[in-house]
Amino acid sequence: MSVSSGRKITQILGAELDKLVTLPLIWLTLIGTFILNLVLAAAFTSAGLQGAAGTQSILNIGLASMGYLQAGFIILGILATCSEYTGGQIRTTLTTIPWRGFQLSMKHLALAIITIPVAFIIVASGVLYALIMMRDTAVGFEIDTMIKTLVGATGYLTLTTLLSAAIGALLRRTTPALVILLGYYFVVSPLTRDFQPKYFPDTAGSYMYMPPSSDEINVLTPMQGTGILMLWTLIFITAAIVFYRKRDA
Amino acid sequence: MRAFNAELSKLFSLPGIWLAFLIGAFAPAVFTALDSIAEKEEIIAGVSTRLSEVGYIGLSFGVQGVIILGVLAVSSEYLTESSESGGGQQITTSLTVVPSRLHFLLAKAGAVTVISILLCIVAIMTTVSATHLILGEYAPAFEWSRLIGAVCYWTFTALLAFGITVLTKNGIIPLAVLMINSSVVSFSVLLSKITKLAFYLPDRAGLDMFMFTSDKFHTPSTGGLVMFAWVAVFFIVAAIVFHRRDVAS
Repeated sequence: MSVSSGRKITQILGAELDKLVTLPLIWLTLIGTFILNLVLAAAFTSAGLQGAAGTQSILNIGLASMGYLQAGFIILGILATCSEYTGGQIRTTLTTIPWRGFQLSMKHLALAIITIPVAFIIVASGVLYALIMMRDTAVGFEIDTMIKTLVGATGYLTLTTLLSAAIGALLRRTTPALVILLGYYFVVSPLTRDFQPKYFPDTAGSYMYMPPSSDEINVLTPMQGTGILMLWTLIFITAAIVFYRKRDA
Repeated sequence: MRAFNAELSKLFSLPGIWLAFLIGAFAPAVFTALDSIAEKEEIIAGVSTRLSEVGYIGLSFGVQGVIILGVLAVSSEYLTESSESGGGQQITTSLTVVPSRLHFLLAKAGAVTVISILLCIVAIMTTVSATHLILGEYAPAFEWSRLIGAVCYWTFTALLAFGITVLTKNGIIPLAVLMINSSVVSFSVLLSKITKLAFYLPDRAGLDMFMFTSDKFHTPSTGGLVMFAWVAVFFIVAAIVFHRRDVAS
């Protein structure tokens, strides 16, 4: 049976999207992240209001929850790839789609399609909350800086999700992947921030949304940060695809 | 007693448990070593304000290991096996062999407690030797009361993870929440900036058992009691829920 390559890709993409959308844990994670983000935004806003009023930027406070928010997206990425390996779904997948490279790349693409709008909504909701609560006290900002920052934050979350998905595909088990990624992002990285070069995925990526400030030296521009994080993500996805093609499912 | 032995044997044969042991036993020593190297000059000059915390800071992060232990102990029971090997859950077998659910839960909690106490003793030994190796004669003396506090903190955290996982049946959520919460950017630290009530959260109260930081709120014994109360509440709720719940659901 000959199917044209373009049609094949669309079908695989459709299948992968279907699989992701019907995974109940994905929705639970996203809804949980959304609620958590609002709670955190509320907490940061009230902490900001109690602090020195008038000196804080709304964007900084609205995005302060990013550090926690990425946990939800790391879980999302890991779930997307590791769910194939619980219960041998992977064998059904590979029976129907025998092109492993295509299948895994389409999975990442499908994941990105889902992540981008959700990440944007979640980030925007946090900033919006801070904006509404602090309209009177905080320093104003321009609308195009806000859009740039929101896009940067969305891109950061999406790339982090894809990175986690690639690592999930490499490790194939949810718990070790989760422990390693959370351990890196939340324990190792913050503790070694002073020693490590600026080229690790989370540090480089954070320049994508960090508002440029004058008092600290910004080592990377947002574009450089994006490039480095994208490079990391592509390296891990490539590694995942190579292993996926070579390995016994 | 036989149920307890069985639980120990089950825990030791879990594939993910080695990750927990590795993190629990060596992560504190590594953090302490890094911290000591960074602080070495100040300590030798006698101007360090953090001499009393050297070592303990590593122990407060190494608790990640027992979190994994507590979560895995329960979540592995609920892991659905692949449909090719019957699609069963270990919990059904476990409860067939040990029909009394309370006994089962107690035996499991006992096994988790014993392992986390042992793990903490190992961690203390590696941490103490790491400080002596790096700081030499300047290494602070470790007081027994604080070390016992650290052991209690590890054990209570493991039991807390255990209790929460019995309620959720899925390892991802407790693992993510507890790991982030015991990291540098914890929710409770954030909340404690807003309300004094946050000092009664289990991890903030528990840390007061052995960390003598400036924002200390409880005495070591009240901190321990508060944390123990949390553990007791979670354990009782978990026991009731576990007793009433249909295993297959």
